[in-house]
Amino acid sequence: MSNRAIILCFSLLLLACNKKELLFKNPTSQETGLFFENTITPSDDLNILDYLYYYNGGGVALGDINNDGLVDIFLSANQEKNKLYINKGNLKFEDITTKSNVSGNSSWNTGAVMGDINGDGLLDIYVCAVVGVHGFYGYNELYINNGDETFTESAEQYKLDFDTYSSSAAFLDFDLDGDLDIYLLNHAIHTQESFGKADLRHKRNEQTGDRLLRNDGGTFTDVSESAGIFGGINGYGLGISIADFNQDGFPDIYIGNDFHEDDYYYINNRDGTFSDQLKDYFGHTSRFSMGNDVADINHDGLPDIISLDMLPEEEVVLKTSEGDDNIQIQKLRTKKYGYHYQFTRNMLYVNQQNSGYLETALLSGIAATDWSWSSLFADFNQDGEQDLFISNGISKRPNDLDFIKFISNEQIQKKIDNTKLVDQKALQMMPSGEAHNYIFKGVKNLEFEDKSGEWISNKKGVSGATALGDLDNDGDLDLVVSNINENVSLYINQTNEKANYLQLKFDYPSPNTFGIGTKVYSYTKGELQFKELYTVRGFQSSSEPTVHFGYGAIQQVDSITIVWPNKMCQTIRNIPVNQQLTIRPEKTKPFNYSTILKKETPIFKKVSNNLGLNFIHSEDNYTDFNRQKLIPYQNSDSGPAVAVGDLNNDGKDDIYFGGSKFNPAKVYLQKEGLYEEEKNQIFANDSINEDVVALIADFNNDTKNDLFIGTGGADFYSKMKPLLDTYFIQNNTSFTKEQLPDYFENASVIEAHDYDNDGDLDVFVGNDIVSNDFGAMPNSYILINNKGKFSILENQPFQNIGMITDAIWEDYDSDGFVDLILVGEWMTPKFFKNRKGNFVEENLINSKLTGLWQQIAPFDIDKDGDVDFLLGNWGKNSKFEASQEHPLRMYYSDFDENGSTETILCNFKNGAYYPLLGLDELASQIVSLRKKFTNYKSFAGKSINAIFEKSVLKKARIFEVNTLASGYLKNENNTYTFVPFKNELQVSPISSFLEYDFNANGVNEVLVAGNYFGVSPYHGRFDSFPGALIVNEDKIILGNKIGLNFSQKAVKKLNIIKVQNKSYVLATINNDSAQVYQLIK
Amino acid sequence: MKQFKLYVIATLIVMGLFSCKENLDPIEVTTEHFHTAIDKVVDVMIHDIFSPPVASRVFVYPNIAAYEILAQNDTAYFSLKNQIKHLGAIPSPNESKRVNYPLAALIAHIHLSKQLIFSEAKIETHRDSLYNVWEAKNPREFKESKAYGLEVAAYISDWMNKDNYAQTRTMPKFSVDSEDEGRWQPTPPSYMDGLEPHWNKIRSFVLESADQFKPAPPPKFSMNKNSDFYKELIEVYEISKEITKKGDTSEEIAIAQFWDCNPYVSVNRGHLMFAVKKITPGAHWIGITKIATKKGKADVNRTVFAYTKTSIAIADAFISCWDEKYRSNLVRPETLINTYFDDEWKPILQTPPFPEYSSGHSVVSGAASTVLTSIFGENFSFSDDTEVPFGLPIRSYKSFKHAADEAAISRMYGGIHYRTAVEVGVVQGRKVGELVTEKLTMFNN
Repeated sequence: MSNRAIILCFSLLLLACNKKELLFKNPTSQETGLFFENTITPSDDLNILDYLYYYNGGGVALGDINNDGLVDIFLSANQEKNKLYINKGNLKFEDITTKSNVSGNSSWNTGAVMGDINGDGLLDIYVCAVVGVHGFYGYNELYINNGDETFTESAEQYKLDFDTYSSSAAFLDFDLDGDLDIYLLNHAIHTQESFGKADLRHKRNEQTGDRLLRNDGGTFTDVSESAGIFGGINGYGLGISIADFNQDGFPDIYIGNDFHEDDYYYINNRDGTFSDQLKDYFGHTSRFSMGNDVADINHDGLPDIISLDMLPEEEVVLKTSEGDDNIQIQKLRTKKYGYHYQFTRNMLYVNQQNSGYLETALLSGIAATDWSWSSLFADFNQDGEQDLFISNGISKRPNDLDFIKFISNEQIQKKIDNTKLVDQKALQMMPSGEAHNYIFKGVKNLEFEDKSGEWISNKKGVSGATALGDLDNDGDLDLVVSNINENVSLYINQTNEKANYLQLKFDYPSPNTFGIGTKVYSYTKGELQFKELYTVRGFQSSSEPTVHFGYGAIQQVDSITIVWPNKMCQTIRNIPVNQQLTIRPEKTKPFNYSTILKKETPIFKKVSNNLGLNFIHSEDNYTDFNRQKLIPYQNSDSGPAVAVGDLNNDGKDDIYFGGSKFNPAKVYLQKEGLYEEEKNQIFANDSINEDVVALIADFNNDTKNDLFIGTGGADFYSKMKPLLDTYFIQNNTSFTKEQLPDYFENASVIEAHDYDNDGDLDVFVGNDIVSNDFGAMPNSYILINNKGKFSILENQPFQNIGMITDAIWEDYDSDGFVDLILVGEWMTPKFFKNRKGNFVEENLINSKLTGLWQQIAPFDIDKDGDVDFLLGNWGKNSKFEASQEHPLRMYYSDFDENGSTETILCNFKNGAYYPLLGLDELASQIVSLRKKFTNYKSFAGKSINAIFEKSVLKKARIFEVNTLASGYLKNENNTYTFVPFKNELQVSPISSFLEYDFNANGVNEVLVAGNYFGVSPYHGRFDSFPGALIVNEDKIILGNKIGLNFSQKAVKKLNIIKVQNKSYVLATINNDSAQVYQLIK
Repeated sequence: MKQFKLYVIATLIVMGLFSCKENLDPIEVTTEHFHTAIDKVVDVMIHDIFSPPVASRVFVYPNIAAYEILAQNDTAYFSLKNQIKHLGAIPSPNESKRVNYPLAALIAHIHLSKQLIFSEAKIETHRDSLYNVWEAKNPREFKESKAYGLEVAAYISDWMNKDNYAQTRTMPKFSVDSEDEGRWQPTPPSYMDGLEPHWNKIRSFVLESADQFKPAPPPKFSMNKNSDFYKELIEVYEISKEITKKGDTSEEIAIAQFWDCNPYVSVNRGHLMFAVKKITPGAHWIGITKIATKKGKADVNRTVFAYTKTSIAIADAFISCWDEKYRSNLVRPETLINTYFDDEWKPILQTPPFPEYSSGHSVVSGAASTVLTSIFGENFSFSDDTEVPFGLPIRSYKSFKHAADEAAISRMYGGIHYRTAVEVGVVQGRKVGELVTEKLTMFNN
């Protein structure tokens, strides 16, 4: 072989390597014969200005309508005729619309779904329509399959000929009577001018209200009202999923509503009615909810939910699009109008069965996928993990800020008074919202990897309705995606024989012939995969009635348990992979869910009388963001202080709860087994103070306990008195206030210890922020005790080391002198060695570890006999992004030189740092930016270096955070390695650790609590952490599984209280009631 | 003698400079130049979406700069130095320079306007086209007048920048408290934050203090049917129902829309949102000032004098009014009508985003009309075509007072104010206007 030939071969090889093949190929319409385009051309009479859902698109329904073993395709479009394509094999399709009589008569079609309505074993087709507005005519059409590739439109006969504003319909047997009922999803069209009260949903509106239609053997009866289904004028229903969310054998319903209306979480009451329990199970939801889908993503046998929204990922689009509400509007909407918390991004809800869902979309990496319509979970690469496809795009972006504020005016200003204000020019000025579809690979630990551009083409377009099916009968799942003004796309999966699969179809007794609602639990090597057969999924579509599992390299499935809709089950064992099975009920027996779902032994139980502790902390109305508009999070919500100790010398644990501004502190004394509030204590006089931390201890060695209170609240500033900490000495009958050194700080932690071994308790006081100057360094002190009087220990290395949030005294080098470890925000944990009364910083952590540290606690988590340190951090479930290479940054400076400082937070993205906030927010504080960027386009996509002059940035102090995960410092011979906790513990900031032997097994565990709400709506609400029990490195149990309920509660502090020789856990919660749990063992 | 010598030398130098060229005509600056300059600022403010109080600040400083320059050269007018807060004497021109005062005044005006708005490009285009003409016509006069104009602009700018505007940008937002029903809450459809809660901290011009004309408190909030407050609330609701019955062509709707003057009416249709933008109340009265100067055939100096005095009154009127708004913090009719009477009710005009009492348009109209009356006289009738660019008709008035009274009552027709806010507002504004006319000695007649 000549050299040239070798080079040629080599180059060819390289070329082949470089051109990575996509996992999905997209055959052309010429190849497939599918010529179907949802063509919509805005006219003067009808466009997005008139009809808000002008670009929502049509539907896709997949199923084998002629029972030839090949999946056929039905497509609906808004203004085009429906089409039915018969699969001829080899991905060739034949249009049989004319012959089959399914082309339709409505003028604006939406969703299309297949299901066997009459129980004859043939798939019928139901096509939704919007009727009765904008001149739209027609009705929802039902095509009954005649079995010979022809259909008879029979909607009227079945009483399904609705002429409402329908978007989709789903099949379910909600009353378990064996036939398929229908949930008809309608959407409101009324323009959102004012919120209106949330109760509007109780007032039924014929056109817009959703309907539950009970199958009464050949006709459907509207039972919405009696079944508890909302039907208001504000129900912008776009997403629907059916699943047995609480695994009680009865199907439940999740409805995604656009705009300000809450999503609905209908739990089946098992008596033909439903109750919406959204607020109980979800701390927040997506705001502009679009499509949703359900699958078990974490192998626990419980259906998890994704709900789509429209948060853009791309920097330019993000900064030119209308974003979230400001915090005051959020308050108004939730508190005054009664809506739930909603945020503009996708949400991933991880099911915890009988307690709140964990919401992990940010942590999972799927929160921002732009203008998203359809989400479908499936194991596309057949590795045993659920992957996720999301369709995307809109022809015109109506929420473009330049369009809203600057461009629209000139075109529209004279014509607003009626709906005929159409103006082609105005439409042309709206930017295109074409976007690429997303696909994510599911990996373990609740995470997803973006494979867009790798698995699928990242060509931009406008895609909507999407359905799943195995079009080429090769075992893996393909996708059919409907597009606006472009031919329908096929995504043909090329996984083929690279990984193993199993496909299950069901042959269930008529009338539910396809076995809708059947559950399948698959076990391989102890790993559970769970699926439930509901075909209406994604958005305005239905998928092939098949259950599909991927198994990677596994050749044989250990067992499969089928639970039929009638709650009977059967198990099949040792099934070879790579086959399509049709299963019918055989030798079934009643199913018991407890055999499948893992249960932990409960450890905690809420005490019904709360031991008489009726303390409710209520935050004052102060909002930090009103004063410092750009700070990343609040500080005024750090309370309440809580301290446990004997306050009346009777040997029993009493409790001090600090107050918030103008709400006085409260003292509860322990009487016979119960607590009673003790009024008129001297502490209540300081009611203006905001108490953040408190400590009960005997400081003056007179055997009576005293009280030390750290105050803060961020509201008070400069040398205002409420910033002074307070100190009370107990006399014979009462407490008296004692002098403390004058330091005006916002306290965060008080830890007492006799660090100088002179027989009295000294105090470390940590402070976290400087009021009105976030980013400035507060001072933290050791107060030396001299016969009960305190003075500051001067000149210590920790004095202004950072925004301290927690401290522990711990003799980590076992030299008999207790050392000091400090953690804080925007800093690394700091170890200070106590050299006989003087402190020297030591560097003991083997990596840079800047975090937003909240808590530290010593605990031998790896059970190797030395002390490790648990660290509570911000968690990974936020819009902050941080890594060793690209830390989160905060620029701190007086950017506009007007005498007050600003902070600007930046994430690293594609090679540069970008502010998290948009032009409006930044300019609300730095008005000169308005002059520099006179529109949003000029600002969007600009990094911090392009937004500010070099000279300005040079003056700024840059803070960094490279670690957001909570975890622990693993002690290996007194050097410490950081190990993050698993992702269930990263959903919220962690604010408290409590070590105790909770299950009385002779070994201590650590109870963990968290959640935090003091962020702007752009960041959402960290509300879904249920608490957790750390047993050891490998065993961490979520709180909801062992009897705790911390979901939607911002737990500030956990304490042990002893009452009549029994131990209880006291959870003190910001802006909520304190809770007491007993230990079951 | 010494002076004469200097003069001769100067003349010789000038002659030497121009000896080889023909003697150039002076640059002529007319009233139209000033009208156009102000119209440009109005256009940019509409585009940039300036709130009414901030817009009043954008008008007043360029006018003062121009006026101070013109007053240097016209004994009929007195400088405002030491007459308005903390304004000293502007620099005098170098005697050797050939300063064209109207030209310098116009240049200073344009320069300061550009500094005050956001979208500079629009002002720059206008400025550069003028500069090119002047440069070609008489380079030296242009250059020297420009230098002086900019020098004065810099002086005024220094003074202007000490008015606390920058500091108020970073002051706290207005805190919404939805518990207290009588307190103002954000209103549909955009639920915007309360605008400019700290405007009373802006340095005033003639007012001693922001609360100098603090009006009596509004009727106490009460939903008791016999309370004054409730009666006023019901009146707004009844008027709106009655007007709506009469239809879009009713006189009341015409009046409401004519005086809407809302710089940002936002319209939401699903995900689609857009803004309908108009001039502010201040800009409307600046427009009326233009009409009056034209009708009164005012020369350049009198025109600038009228603009300046009116804009000072408007600026102080906003300070006075905003001081009261965030003191009484009164809830808008829309919030209560939606809660108590009709959750679908919308006012004829969109409720602007700040507390109700007193009515801003009433205060501003009261102040501006009083000053204009002092300049152009009572019973000065005029046809107001200010709103024509916004698709509204021309309306005629027999006096400034007549117009102001109509502007005030328009807020009730619009469903955004109670009666007391309107009636008290005009009185409050007239007090501001009278103070301005009383305290300022500007025209020597």
